[in-house]
Amino acid sequence: MAEHLEVLKTDLGERGVYDSVSQCSRCGYCLSACPTYVVTGKEAFSGRGRNQVVRMMVEGKIKKASLAEEVLSSCLLCGACTSACYAHVPTAELVLEGRRTIRGGKVHWLVRYLTWLLKDHPHLLAWQLKCVHLVRRLGISRWVALSGILRALGLKELEMAEFQVQEAPLKFLHEYLGANGQVKSKVTGWSYFTSCGPNYLYPRVGLATVDLLRKFFGEGRFIKNSCCGLPAYNYGDLESAKTMAKKNMQSFNVSLLVGDCSSCVAFLKNYDQLFLDDPVWKPKAQAFSTKVKDIIEMIPMEGLRTSDLGLRTGLVTYHDSCRARNGQGVVSAPRELFKALLGPRYVELPESEWCCGGAGAFSFTHPELSQEVLLRKISHVASTRAEVVVTSSTSCLIQLAHGLKKYYPDCRVMHLSEFVRNYAS
Amino acid sequence: MWRDHKVKIIAELERVADKGRLLTDEVDILSYTYDAALDRARPEAIFIARDAAQVQRAVQICLKHKVPYVARGAGTNLSGGCIPLKGGVVISLVGMDKILEIDTQSHFAVVEPGVVNFRLQKELEGVGFFYAPDPASYKACTLGGNVAENAGGPRCLKYGVTSNHVLALECVMPNGDIQKWSLQDSGPEIMSLLVGAEGTLGIVTKIWLKILPMPEMIETSLAAFPSLESAIEAVSEIIASGVVPRTLEAMDRVTVEAVESYVHAGYPLQAEAVLLIELDGTSSRVSKESKIVQEICKKHKAFEYRVAREFQEREKLWEGRRGAYASLARLAPNVLVEDGVVPRNKLSEALKDIKEIAAKHEVKMALLFHAGDGNLHPNIIFDERNLFETKQVKRAGYEILKHCVSLGGSISGEHGIGVDKRVAMSWLFTPPTLNLFRRLKKFLDPDNLSNPDKIIPLASDQEPILFRPSSKGWSFQAQKIIEMARERCAHKISSVIIGSGTKLSHPFRREDILYTNGLDQVLELDDSNYTLTVEAGITLHVLKETLKKKGFYLPIPDGKGSLGGLISAKAWGGVRDYLLGMRLLLANGDVVELGGNVVKNVAGYDVPKLLIGSWGGLAIILDVTLKVFAQPFPLSSHISYLSSNFFVPNNWHRRIKQAFDPDNLFNPWIFAER
Repeated sequence: MAEHLEVLKTDLGERGVYDSVSQCSRCGYCLSACPTYVVTGKEAFSGRGRNQVVRMMVEGKIKKASLAEEVLSSCLLCGACTSACYAHVPTAELVLEGRRTIRGGKVHWLVRYLTWLLKDHPHLLAWQLKCVHLVRRLGISRWVALSGILRALGLKELEMAEFQVQEAPLKFLHEYLGANGQVKSKVTGWSYFTSCGPNYLYPRVGLATVDLLRKFFGEGRFIKNSCCGLPAYNYGDLESAKTMAKKNMQSFNVSLLVGDCSSCVAFLKNYDQLFLDDPVWKPKAQAFSTKVKDIIEMIPMEGLRTSDLGLRTGLVTYHDSCRARNGQGVVSAPRELFKALLGPRYVELPESEWCCGGAGAFSFTHPELSQEVLLRKISHVASTRAEVVVTSSTSCLIQLAHGLKKYYPDCRVMHLSEFVRNYAS
Repeated sequence: MWRDHKVKIIAELERVADKGRLLTDEVDILSYTYDAALDRARPEAIFIARDAAQVQRAVQICLKHKVPYVARGAGTNLSGGCIPLKGGVVISLVGMDKILEIDTQSHFAVVEPGVVNFRLQKELEGVGFFYAPDPASYKACTLGGNVAENAGGPRCLKYGVTSNHVLALECVMPNGDIQKWSLQDSGPEIMSLLVGAEGTLGIVTKIWLKILPMPEMIETSLAAFPSLESAIEAVSEIIASGVVPRTLEAMDRVTVEAVESYVHAGYPLQAEAVLLIELDGTSSRVSKESKIVQEICKKHKAFEYRVAREFQEREKLWEGRRGAYASLARLAPNVLVEDGVVPRNKLSEALKDIKEIAAKHEVKMALLFHAGDGNLHPNIIFDERNLFETKQVKRAGYEILKHCVSLGGSISGEHGIGVDKRVAMSWLFTPPTLNLFRRLKKFLDPDNLSNPDKIIPLASDQEPILFRPSSKGWSFQAQKIIEMARERCAHKISSVIIGSGTKLSHPFRREDILYTNGLDQVLELDDSNYTLTVEAGITLHVLKETLKKKGFYLPIPDGKGSLGGLISAKAWGGVRDYLLGMRLLLANGDVVELGGNVVKNVAGYDVPKLLIGSWGGLAIILDVTLKVFAQPFPLSSHISYLSSNFFVPNNWHRRIKQAFDPDNLFNPWIFAER
């Protein structure tokens, strides 16, 4: 099992781990960009701090790697530090390297199990998830009755917040897409990458994306794909991540691959990082990366309904998914879209570039820290008085839905595809 | 002490700190061993404070157990100022990050020390105001750190450095007391002493800052020159024209090339030097000044001159300047940003020599500097993992500083001394002056616990060698007064110090009085550096007349008495903004020399400002160096107030008195036991 990446893709070219971590000059310009630093005030919980910890691990100044566990596991991997850094030191990648060192090749059983499901037994995963969803639905069925009462009391928003949980889907996205007979359609323009989030949790998001793609770019095709490999990559199983990446690259020999979970898309765009030391797969991965697009960067302005949009939505704001902003550099496209669609009813979210604390499984592994980061995010959302906050990663959708329900039920979260499909097309 | 009682001390600190905010884990300890410079030192614990009361408790515990402590903000310090040289406790202030008040009527803001400079700027922008000091690290550095270092930035050419914008400070003093110091206080300006003291004299826990309304118009322009010399000639002439730009930044060819390869700001690549000039004020004023500046640049062979007034265009021009450090930081892992200052008329000479020094040591250097105030930032890129290269770079850095000092300049314009430049202090200050600094530290922090071993050279540091040019010499009167005073002091005869006698009206016995009104010579009026050195006994009237005759301007109010009296009695506090240096005679017979002919200088304690309001009770002011201007100009930033209150010394004044005049020989009734 490959335990380490020898070479990292950095803004200054391909660099060894030690070289790339030494590029951090400790200027500290990343500090105020790091949510975990700002929330805790701890130097070790900043981009600079984590770079130095990894560096000291490499230099043998931290003798027991396990000492660094908390510092490295508490990183959101949001990449805000890298965006703030002049040399764009790839702190998230370095943190992952550090984590791999600490694990020493061992992978947590839960991660191993999930990876095994995602990689080799998606049907089993689907079946299990449906069971869970079913139980949750039954458990909250009383909400269905309650919602009528809420509405009568004028507390419609509370009901709206609940809809996130209620919709635990019993039919997954790939089933919808397969069912309408598009799987074997002719190869034209785009192909759709079914991410796990939209697939298992938010089929409505995937359906909205597909609607938009059809509207603007004609028919495309759907191929049953493997998980992008990001969870395996982030939690230590490099080999599985590589296997999944190879599988996807082989299945999608296409000219344009569109995804709608920004985390997955960023990872797809970054596949070459996995194969920098593999002369066969490296060029393939590089070629593949150029064909991947996030739906949020490709919606054209023409053909959208703008006239009475503002009246129907109230104020709208936008939360940057970290993997869209820092992972892919998509910043202006969605904003221009909102400005064109909504004019003054689009409000910029203060600290919109801050992570919401979802960050994959972060909210489960570091619940307290995640809550603090989330609270800050929600208070900014509240300050905009927006009724809808739009975003583009599954993790953000879950985290923000949870936070809004808990702290600010006047607002709901939507994926950008959904928002545009529902209101402007 | 620490070793014996470690468990106990940690337990005591833990009881005071918020949950999870006393850090003792190995990784946490390691992450406070560094700041943005190269030095390293290990603390034993980190205390992240929530409020002044917690800071006070932490200091009290440290004091009780004689444990050293260091206050720390964001740790962006470039001179090793916030690393704990003697171990102990790091008191982190980043958790104290509230903006407590913004008052747009009276133009001030109250903030906690952990507020990031950028956050205050953002907050002020919303109400049409700004806070002038804008250090390059403003997005990360804290205002507490800015106060400790007396931070500057491009805008301080017009508006002054941090100390020109602090109105009051709340501090936890080394004895554990919480004290508020303000500009309004009568008596020696202790507040000014604390600004730039790098946390060696106390920990700032609340700051009252001056804020300014946004100017009506800002115009940014870029001028490209065929040589560095012609650019600097243009700078000198701009200053001489009386125009005071908001910023006047210069970059050399190496910098421009680095910038263009990264940010593509559209700077002309064939330029040997580029000036970024920003003017602000009313639109009519800006238009008028813009014409003057443009003509001067053209006259000095500028082959390109771009003007931008819209925000977006201005930003585009600034991108290059801001991207300069960024692009260098990409060329190598480390960048040494040196921070020398020279008199403005020595810029050309200094730059030529600095280039030679870089060539001699074979280091890669890019020049980037605040041309308007003579503050040079040679940026040297290197890889700290290469020990040989690192040594070369450090050597070159030191040589550059020595050179600045020998030209009559200083070793730091805005980055501070910390530990990196501690040795260099002996190049700049005479032994008696360093001894005064030592005594100040000793009497204010007798246990030497507050950020110990910073700023002042230790006995173990290398042999002190002075590189400062020989001082300005003495007038006959000065020699006489020094001699007389020394004679009296040697026999422990106390003296009443009187200038022109307009401030003190006590009936003194003739034989007790030491008159300084004979000190009335203009020692130096540097008409290309815009500095003036005059003896302290000169009357305000004569001073103003002299300046007028020579075509210079200093915004001193009309009044009776001497310049020394104005300062000593704090008759006009605004003088602090023009005060660059002083020579003092101490009661032990020492002559100390502070500051000099540079307009920006953060080396050592700000003793000249401390002397404001001292009523002759600390030292005899022999002569004073002031910043002068070519023309009157409106400055809303400068604090103007008239007060002439006599003061009743408190405990802290008495400690300071101990450092200056332990036998109470000068104006003894002030400090007489009551």
